[in-house]
Amino acid sequence: MATVSQRTNRWPLALAVVLIVYAALTGLLISALPVKDGARDWFAPLIPGGWMAWSFPGAMFFLTIFALLSLMAVWEYASPGGNPRVGILRFETTRGDRLFVSLLGSAFIHLAWLGLVGPNVWWALALSVVYAIGVFKLV
Amino acid sequence: MEKTWNNKAWFMVLPVLVLVAFSAVIPLMTVVNYSVQDTFGNNEFFWAGTDWFIQVLQSDRFWDALQRNLLFSGIILAIEIPLGILIALNMPKKGLGVPVCLVLMSLPLLIPWNVVGTIWQVFGRVDIGLLGYTLAAIGIPYNYVNNVLDAWITLIVMDVWHWTSLVVLLCYAGLVSIPDAYYQAAKIDGASRWAVFRYIQLPKMKRVLLIAFLLRFMDSFMIYTEPFVITGGGPGNATTFLSIDLVKTAIGQFDLGPAAALSLIYFLIILLLSWIFYTVMTNSDAQS
Repeated sequence: MATVSQRTNRWPLALAVVLIVYAALTGLLISALPVKDGARDWFAPLIPGGWMAWSFPGAMFFLTIFALLSLMAVWEYASPGGNPRVGILRFETTRGDRLFVSLLGSAFIHLAWLGLVGPNVWWALALSVVYAIGVFKLV
Repeated sequence: MEKTWNNKAWFMVLPVLVLVAFSAVIPLMTVVNYSVQDTFGNNEFFWAGTDWFIQVLQSDRFWDALQRNLLFSGIILAIEIPLGILIALNMPKKGLGVPVCLVLMSLPLLIPWNVVGTIWQVFGRVDIGLLGYTLAAIGIPYNYVNNVLDAWITLIVMDVWHWTSLVVLLCYAGLVSIPDAYYQAAKIDGASRWAVFRYIQLPKMKRVLLIAFLLRFMDSFMIYTEPFVITGGGPGNATTFLSIDLVKTAIGQFDLGPAAALSLIYFLIILLLSWIFYTVMTNSDAQS
C-alpha cells in the first residue's frame, strides 16, 4: 500500500546492517587471501585462473563503492527527499549528485596524482576525502 | 514536499538492474581488475599496481590521441548542430514533402558504420572513387592516404553526411511540437523571422538539442569503425583517435593491462565531459 514518506527512527538498524555486512565481507576477503611464507599475500589473485582477475585491492574498491551507495540509501531512509539545495556551483544538487561529483572528482585527483607525482596514492586518497567533505558541505 | 512511497516499486526495477549488471557493471569490474594487473594469457595475473596508469598518463601517444579526439568532436559539433537546425527549419511541415524528407533524412542513419567507412573509402580513392577521381581530374590535389589535411576533411565530411540527419530529425520533432498559437501570436506582434527563431523555436528545441548535443558528442568522441576503415589511423598517426589507439594496444600488442588503464581514463573523460554538458545545458534550461 502506498504511504507518505517521512523521517524514520529505525535508520540506526539499517546503518548497523550495512556496516556489519561491510565488515563481514572484508573479513571474508582477508580470510580468502593466500598465505605465502607465513604471511598473507595481499596482491595475489583471489580466484586463481578466474577470468575476472579478482584481487584483494580490486574487491575492496568495489565493496567500498557499494558500501557508499548503501550508506546513501540509509541516509535517504533516515531523511527522505535527497536534501536538494543550491550551493557554490549555483545550481540545485541532491545528496546523490554530491556523491557523484565527489567520486568523479576523486577519480581525477588520483589520475592527476599518478601523472604528476608518482605511484603512492595514499596522499591522493586523503586529498579526495577532504575534497568529498568540501563537496558535501559547499556544493 | 511530501511524496508517495511504495517499496514494491523496487521489484519493478530489478530486471533492469540485472540487465545492467550483466551488460555494464561486470565488464567494468573486469576492466578495473585488469588495469592493476599484468597477464600473459591463460588467465594468469600478476599484480602491477598503478604502473599502467602512470605509463598511459606519461605517454605522448595518449595525449596526442586525446587532442585529436577533442578537435574532431569540436569540429563535428560546430558543423552538425547548426546545420541540423538549419535543415530542420527548412523542412516542409505538411504535405507530401514531409514523408519524403523524413525518409531521405533517415537513410544515412540506417547504414552500418563499417559500410559507411567502406563507401567513403572507395568514394575518395583517386584511382576509382568518384570524389577522388573528379577532384584529380579538375586539378585539385587530393589524397586521403598520404595527406593529413585530406584525411581529416574526408573523416569530417563523412561524419557530417552520416550523422547530421540525427540532429535534423530531433530538431524537426521539437519544431513540429510547437503549437500554432505561438506563431500566430508572433505574427500579430509583427515578429521578424529571426525573433521567431530566437524566442520561440530555439527555446522549444532546447531539450531535443541537449539530447542531440550529448549523443553527437559521445558518438564522435568514441568514433572507431569509420576512421579505422577509411584511414586505419593514418597517415602516420594523424587520425589515430583514442579508440583506435586502445584497440591497437589491447589486440595488436596484447597489452591488456595498459589497455584497461587507458579505457578507464577514456571512460572517465567521457563521463566528466558529458556531465558538464548535461549540467550546463539543463541548468540554463531551468533558468530560462
